[in-house]
Amino acid sequence: MATGAPQPTDHLRRSFVYRELLSAGAHFEGEGGAAIATHFGDPAGEEAAARRLGLADLSPLARVGFKGAGTAEWLAKQKVAVPPESNQAVTQDGGALAARLAPGEVLILGAIPGGALAGEDDLPARLAAAWAKAPIPPKTPRGFPVPRADTHAWFLLTGADSPAMFAKVCGVDLRPAKFAPGCIAQTSIARLNGTVIRDDKGRLPAYHLLADSASAAYLWGCLRDAMTEFGGAPIGLQAVRALVNST
Amino acid sequence: MKIMPCPLNGPRNISEFSCFGEVADMPEPTTADDAAWAEHVWYANNTAGVVREWWCHVPTSYWFIAERNTVTDEILRTYPASEVYNQRVEFAPKDGTA
Repeated sequence: MATGAPQPTDHLRRSFVYRELLSAGAHFEGEGGAAIATHFGDPAGEEAAARRLGLADLSPLARVGFKGAGTAEWLAKQKVAVPPESNQAVTQDGGALAARLAPGEVLILGAIPGGALAGEDDLPARLAAAWAKAPIPPKTPRGFPVPRADTHAWFLLTGADSPAMFAKVCGVDLRPAKFAPGCIAQTSIARLNGTVIRDDKGRLPAYHLLADSASAAYLWGCLRDAMTEFGGAPIGLQAVRALVNST
Repeated sequence: MKIMPCPLNGPRNISEFSCFGEVADMPEPTTADDAAWAEHVWYANNTAGVVREWWCHVPTSYWFIAERNTVTDEILRTYPASEVYNQRVEFAPKDGTA
């Protein structure tokens, strides 16, 4: 790799799987104070892989959670479209995703940078700032922030074969006919507790997967192994963007 | 695999859950003596038949109540704990100890 190319070790904040990304031959770009894998040396091949079965590490991207009594009401006041039911997710105008994990718990995943919907509204940062600015004690209950950027690794699985791959590591039926877009399963994935959110990209099934950051390297290895029989490959942000922006 | 119907997450493999024992009403905190507390904390009724138990869906840390027949190991009904515990319990200090 050419000297001067962005490296994960340039930043204090690193993806939980940066060593795995490096050994898979990743090229990086700086994003939100961390390096995120752009591609793995074959951008065109990855765009094809993304449609079949791709695994992207989105861990450096912004995300935040809110929990407790009044959470849904407070978020609605901040102009967040909060799903009415638990275990449902809704895409926001700026491309972020609001996932309702329980009656009093919402997880916000930031938009894919450079994606078609990504606007100027950096929702996780805006909400964290708005929460910190509100008066203490609050006039009405507003819940409390749950930092998710350090607790959970964030992977994105894309492509037509991703439901078949999930069947090998997860007991919940995630096939498109059984698990509609916007559905959430909080369950066991490769024996780790995790959250799966269906968020289709470019008319193909795609699933966000969030799980314990301390076990991220293990999970990355499990998924790479489960993907082998389908010819799945790690993909970078470039292929994810191409998928998001295709219709 | 045995299936547990979770009130929040729907039917799931039983391996995703932990059982935390029977649901027992707390003794009146201002009047209960040590024997009553010991009974409440340490002893289980171990009923053969239908019992109410605390269960937790571990991936979501969601606690709920299940009615289960301990003889046949059938799960009869599951519901949120708020169905039973819907009032705040105040722990008023005893006179002279506040």
